[in-house]
Amino acid sequence: MTQTADPAAPHRDAIPSLRAKDYKSDIKPVWCPGCGHFGVLAALTKTLAYLDIAPEQAAVVSGIGCSSRLPAYLSGYGFHGVHGRALPVASGLKAARPDLTVIAAGGDGDGFSIGGNHFLHACRRNQDLTYIVMDNEVYGMTKGQASPTTPPDWAKSKLTPHGTGMPRFKPAAIALAAGAGFVARGFAGDPNGLTELLAAAIQHPGFAFVHVLSPCRTYRPEQQDWKTEVHPCVLGPAHDIAHAAELLQRDDGLALGILYEQRFPVYADGVSADAAGRLADIEAELCR
Amino acid sequence: MSEDQADVIESLGEFIAHALELEHASEAHYTQLADSMAVHHNAAVETLFRQLAELSTAHAAAIAARVGDTELPRIPPWGFKWECPGAPESSDCLEGDVSYRMTTLQAIEVALHNERRGHAYYLHVADTATDADARALAAEMAAEEAEHVAMLESLLAGQTDADQAPTPDDLDPPHMPG
Repeated sequence: MTQTADPAAPHRDAIPSLRAKDYKSDIKPVWCPGCGHFGVLAALTKTLAYLDIAPEQAAVVSGIGCSSRLPAYLSGYGFHGVHGRALPVASGLKAARPDLTVIAAGGDGDGFSIGGNHFLHACRRNQDLTYIVMDNEVYGMTKGQASPTTPPDWAKSKLTPHGTGMPRFKPAAIALAAGAGFVARGFAGDPNGLTELLAAAIQHPGFAFVHVLSPCRTYRPEQQDWKTEVHPCVLGPAHDIAHAAELLQRDDGLALGILYEQRFPVYADGVSADAAGRLADIEAELCR
Repeated sequence: MSEDQADVIESLGEFIAHALELEHASEAHYTQLADSMAVHHNAAVETLFRQLAELSTAHAAAIAARVGDTELPRIPPWGFKWECPGAPESSDCLEGDVSYRMTTLQAIEVALHNERRGHAYYLHVADTATDADARALAAEMAAEEAEHVAMLESLLAGQTDADQAPTPDDLDPPHMPG
């Protein structure tokens, strides 16, 4: 777990030295007004402020897509990487700098299609990372094509005029099956609830997956209805795999909260010092 | 304790913490909307949201100046005593009415909705807080919010036909199917 101040500790002054806005950069988001990603940006900055994680102690790594522009809008370290490769870059960064709070972020196309294989192995590798996927069930940046989480009968793209006809990718169930120890679902329209989930995810020791329903105002306007359709996950969180599997079998995809939490050994725990030593040897070799 | 009692503000420090959160969230929300309008070349609406952000900034500074020796509780973002998912003046993160092509009239209506919620929140605290100092400060804040509401109502009433500008041109339209 990344070191942060204890939020429960007595705190005389509630005017913190850093507020959410201090984690935002001067770059103006190009997202459409009303886009769900604004809620995720708000929730993430509130989380970092609440956990007292200094901007220079966090790094946000993304792939490509509307949501993957997130690092540009933050004042801390960021890496806007290659399509689908947020997790490999984040994994490398965490291995090299285990002291940093490393957060990978992106969209459903980036994370579950081209990046799908990395997602599976990040779940089972269990490095101490947080992965936020802003799911709007569409490729927005390329103007509205079906993604892995698009319903099979969504026929509003010229590429799939009769829908994809394929079952949807089920992120939470697949994360569970791949070995993730923390699986949660939030909603961009509930930034404070999402903040609670992100705080728990960052504090979870190991890989934490937060699936965020983040409506696309432009290409999926019907997703505005999520405001009235989402509901708390009353059966969760599950703490054993059998209960989690049962919970996810009944899941309608709109239940919010921590769905599953279980602690597993964190990758690289106990070997960091050795790894750092080997890295120094490599650097010395390269510098000769 | 009933749910209603759980929502009651119990000290001046607790109220100030809530008011600061409300005003900072409001500032962030209006700034975000203004930035969005700037990116999408909707200068008229950007100006309005920028002015509202400045009002919230000033309000937050005024509240911060009142802290003095008051001990403030540390409240997690999800622990504030209001019903809405965000803060009262900025709770609708997914406004269906917000668009980069919105007119000034539509923007005033969105802002008026938010400011009325802020005003209602302060009035609620002024009526229900168990601490007299919190009630008094909340009443002050409600009066100031009432001024914001009145200003927006006046703006709304002053909108003429000439102000009902057509939807701004879309310089980068989405490539919609169909």
